[in-house]
Amino acid sequence: MKAFDCAIIGAGPAGMSAAIELAQAGADVVVLDRADRAGGQIYRSAADSPLPDAAHLGPDYAAGADLIIRFEQSGATHLAGADVWHLGDDGRILFSYQGETREVHCREMLLCPGAMERPMPIPGWTLPGVMTAGAAQVMLKSDAVVADGAVFAGSGPLLYLIVAQYLRLGVQVAALVDTTPRQHFFDAAPLMPRALQQLGNLRKGLSLLREIRASGVATYRYAENLEVIGDDRATGLRFSASGQQHEVSADTVFLHHGVQPNLNMSRAMGLAHHWNSTQMCWQVTVDAFGQSSVPHVSVGGDGAGIIGADGARAAGRVAAQNILFRLGRISQADRDQSVRADLNDLSALKPFRRFIDCLYRPTEALRLPRDAETQVCRCEEQSLGDLRKGFEQGARDPNALKSLTRCGMGPCQGRQCGHVVAGLLAQWRAESPEEVGYYRLRSPQRLLTLDELGRYGSVSAGAAE
Amino acid sequence: MFRSLQDDDHDLVTLIVNDQPVNARKGQSVWSAMAVASQVVTRKAALSGEERSAYCAMGVCFECMVEIDGLPNQQACLRRVADGMSVATQDITENSEATDEGL
Ligand SMILES: Cc1cc2nc3c(=O)[nH]c(=O)nc-3n(C[C@H](O)[C@H](O)[C@H](O)COP(=O)(O)OP(=O)(O)OC[C@H]3O[C@@H](n4cnc5c(N)ncnc54)[C@H](O)[C@@H]3O)c2cc1C
Ligand code: FES
Repeated sequence: MKAFDCAIIGAGPAGMSAAIELAQAGADVVVLDRADRAGGQIYRSAADSPLPDAAHLGPDYAAGADLIIRFEQSGATHLAGADVWHLGDDGRILFSYQGETREVHCREMLLCPGAMERPMPIPGWTLPGVMTAGAAQVMLKSDAVVADGAVFAGSGPLLYLIVAQYLRLGVQVAALVDTTPRQHFFDAAPLMPRALQQLGNLRKGLSLLREIRASGVATYRYAENLEVIGDDRATGLRFSASGQQHEVSADTVFLHHGVQPNLNMSRAMGLAHHWNSTQMCWQVTVDAFGQSSVPHVSVGGDGAGIIGADGARAAGRVAAQNILFRLGRISQADRDQSVRADLNDLSALKPFRRFIDCLYRPTEALRLPRDAETQVCRCEEQSLGDLRKGFEQGARDPNALKSLTRCGMGPCQGRQCGHVVAGLLAQWRAESPEEVGYYRLRSPQRLLTLDELGRYGSVSAGAAE
Repeated sequence: MFRSLQDDDHDLVTLIVNDQPVNARKGQSVWSAMAVASQVVTRKAALSGEERSAYCAMGVCFECMVEIDGLPNQQACLRRVADGMSVATQDITENSEATDEGL
């Protein structure tokens, strides 16, 4: 089997941008993504939207179509619908493809798995009818499906974006319940002047809020003590705001308070990680070129720390140039020359990022559960009370707690509870999450059937489907 | 209530969700077809048997695991509809630990 020069996991802005650079330089590159179309989260279905009028999604979304088309014409092999579940540091990648198991080999690996939404373990968050705001975004973009009369709760640009998109499309919104604390505005104010260098980005954010306000949708600010109401289905959201108790009826509740890198792949590979105390999440440790602790494995885009779509494009290109250098296709001087502009852009984005990270930093009240009955591990149904009991029985770190309570052992492999468990242990031990650590993960990163493993094939460079 | 913003003149397929015929647009995810048909329960929780539904719609929470054509643990948000496909709420979370076989 002929190995690819480079395999990229994830066809979002980071992965697509990297693939274009690599393919242009003549490298044999394969891009694997579990979605059936290229685009990633932000540009999902941007090149062939099922919506009658996709212009309502905004100019950023429309801009994605161009990148997708360039990617598709780049000569990179795109395996759409390839769900990757094993990455070996020997360059072997195993994935599910149309119900079968497939394998590719590569010299260099670039992980661009993007982000997922930060879990929000409030009372009632496991009830049917409760979803993330990103879920609303995904259903809208890929299937043109919306929920009428939903309540949106939490904080951050992606929450305001989906509310604005719903309103433009004439979808009725019950309320926006904004949990951004008043204090965050004071904390973020000193960072504002430098963030102003990214005036365009700042304007975009402000205009979303203005748009929502002008629509007349009920908006509550500084909301606290969120609780989903309902017995076996969500029927609404209860919260307090400005010293008053409120209840909004809705059969769909969309929650959001920021995104965090998708870790399972880089964790299962044993790459070095560190705790990002600003974004309150773990991230893989990489150098300026995205190279991880294993030299032939690089990570780019939101998967290596949240930087947004523009940053992801730049990071993808930078990683690609470094990979070309590592493959011996360009000199170090050429690499340094090619990445200069993108590295400058990436540092120019930083003050804006810092401002956003400070203004919308996840509050402890939404990051960690409050009531003993609230589920932390959704798969194995382990509540805050169960975990606390485990801690008192001597489980001091995530892996010990996992063996004792089964938290993190279910099909999601800790994707939902990992950060919450680390946060709780950090609180109980009065130490930083860095000290507490994270679940030890292994391949495969998804449930597999024997049937699927039995149907096996490989994809060679130069002979891909 | 979920609804589709698409016009009706699309290629439709018919799938069976918990013994009920459901029309869906070609290319649509199984989860969104279920949602539009108000069939939102995807699985029963492993211990309590509580009803669960899709949470993330992007493949990371595994709450949307349903049985598709007799195969359990299929993520409804990642699978696409097909004509004659049979989808059922998953009653038990089997194999909740990922298998290592084949590695
Ligand atoms: C649900 C959601 C919606 C978002 N919507 C927006 C938005 O509308 N506007 C905005 O500015 N930002 C949005 N974001 C933020 C977004 O993370 C960035 O803007 C941008 O998409 C990051 O680009 P990326 O290339 O790093 O990753 P992504 O665009 O996330 O791309 C990562 C890709 O990797 C694939 N992948 C991950 N794991 C695997 C695997 N194991 N096997 C195969 N493929 C895999 C995914 O399918 C995905 O296509 C959203 C984030 C989330 C989580
Ligand atoms: S809804 Fe989360 S994995 Fe499908």
